[in-house]
Amino acid sequence: MLVLAIDTATQVSSVAVASEGRLLSELTMQGKLTHSETLLPHIEQVLKMAAVDKSQLTGIVVSNGPGSFTGLRIGLAAAKAMSYVLGIPLVGVSTLQAMAYQLPVPGVRLMCLLDAQKGNAYVESYRWENNTLQVAEAVKVAKISDIVAGCGQLAEQVILLGDAVQKKIAGKIELPANVSTAMPHLVMPRAACVAMLGQQRLLAGDADNVMDLEPVYIRRSEAEVLWEKRHPEEASVPPRP
Amino acid sequence: MEKKKEELLTLAIESSCDETSAAVLRGGREILANIISTQIPIHQKFGGVVPEIASRKHIVNIMPVIDECLRTAGVELKDIDQVAVTYGPGLVGALLVGVSAAKSLAFSLGKPLIGVNHLEGHIFANFLAAPDLEPPFMALVVSGGHTALVDVQGYNRFRMMGQTRDDAAGEAFDKIARVMGLPYPGGPRIDALAKEGNPLAIDFPQALTEKGNYEFSFSGLKSAVLNYINSEKMKGHELNKADIAASFQRSVIEVLVGKAFQAVKEAGRDTLVLAGGVAANSGLEARLREEAEKQGVRFLYPDKILCTDNAAMIGCRGYYQALDGGYSDLYLNAVPGLSLTDK
Repeated sequence: MLVLAIDTATQVSSVAVASEGRLLSELTMQGKLTHSETLLPHIEQVLKMAAVDKSQLTGIVVSNGPGSFTGLRIGLAAAKAMSYVLGIPLVGVSTLQAMAYQLPVPGVRLMCLLDAQKGNAYVESYRWENNTLQVAEAVKVAKISDIVAGCGQLAEQVILLGDAVQKKIAGKIELPANVSTAMPHLVMPRAACVAMLGQQRLLAGDADNVMDLEPVYIRRSEAEVLWEKRHPEEASVPPRP
Repeated sequence: MEKKKEELLTLAIESSCDETSAAVLRGGREILANIISTQIPIHQKFGGVVPEIASRKHIVNIMPVIDECLRTAGVELKDIDQVAVTYGPGLVGALLVGVSAAKSLAFSLGKPLIGVNHLEGHIFANFLAAPDLEPPFMALVVSGGHTALVDVQGYNRFRMMGQTRDDAAGEAFDKIARVMGLPYPGGPRIDALAKEGNPLAIDFPQALTEKGNYEFSFSGLKSAVLNYINSEKMKGHELNKADIAASFQRSVIEVLVGKAFQAVKEAGRDTLVLAGGVAANSGLEARLREEAEKQGVRFLYPDKILCTDNAAMIGCRGYYQALDGGYSDLYLNAVPGLSLTDK
């Protein structure tokens, strides 16, 4: 198995080539150019570094959100087109879950936060149990200050990861005694983690549909939310259980 | 053996606003497929295109549209010789979906990439509509965000005669339609209403009409129409929407027609083409045709499908641009504010 992995969910541009259980090459940077400019040149570069021709690839894995809406679409559009042309399967993996692959430490709560604007974050927390990653609390949008305060109530060590940590927490907010932030080189998403997480699905013969895969936005567009506020009678109300 | 240029297959992608489109052209002018997936019904309830929603639809529609395009064209991916894509102007998030997909297609196929200016694409739609059309000719570009007169001296040689200083004609149409409570998209509604109204009922201003001035300005006209509507409402008068539409449209059309034929004359051209979304306006088309007959000028405009945002026109522009070496590298980015310039 040879996979190309892409993560453009945050300001970090990261691409990697991996064989089964082995990272062959990775290019991860947080620079000034946009994802739109750098993604394809980086893919070209990372394949060259791994001495892998694109025709040898057997799968594409993309970090599919949550994250920056535009960043996610740039990554997914490139991933879909490549999967389509090369005739190889595509899988999307959770950006939050892939980050938890940075720190496979048992007995610790890994709290992954991605910036959701206006002081909010998309947050999901994990625990490593018997060498597998388990979701401790499912994804939601919450105020960053509330998330941090909530971590202080937990009866375990908590490590915070994600771009919201780099932007809004590390060195900016006082943390409860049981809470710490991941080191700067481990705090952001990386395509190597995306590759390893995606390989599991590919090995299981699982793939997404290249024709209709969408990013996991979590949030609807502001225009839709506003429209429904103004037209409560026409908003589709989901049936209550 | 290298293919003859007339045999080159160009795959083109367009996603600058609310249409996701893919096309395959053989050579510069033969359309093998031109698939357009429109989002107009989705944006209607918001009264205009919502950029984030448009981008979300593009990322869902892009692959099915490309796939259907190739199947309709009866062409396999490996036969594609080059990939053309709109990189501006337009909504940045929308453009980025097409640009990213096109770059990845070009890279994965190992074929060259051609970044195309959407407005040049609109002009080139005329080559698809009129197989015998050759430069030089004058082009009047009237789209949602742009109004311009371009002297097309060669396939890759353009001279800007003038463009809009402020609001484009299309923007004025949309804004006035909204204020009159007409559903989005407003242009065709005003065009239809205008047919029932008296174009001389209200005297709306025409700007920059002095001879030799090819710049356009529609913000004054827009304000005048909005003020008129407000003052009528204040007086408690019922709006005669048909008269307002007809009188407003007349002001726009007279400015466009006047400048276009002046430019034709100054540049010594014998052909005028109309390009852009507003080219679908029947009032404008009829006036230009009438004036062209009077002045003995050949007048062309693309049919409705080629006037809307479509990838075939991007493929046509891309083909001719590539003949002149106008390729892009994989660093190509979306440029939302891209304009027409001398070439």
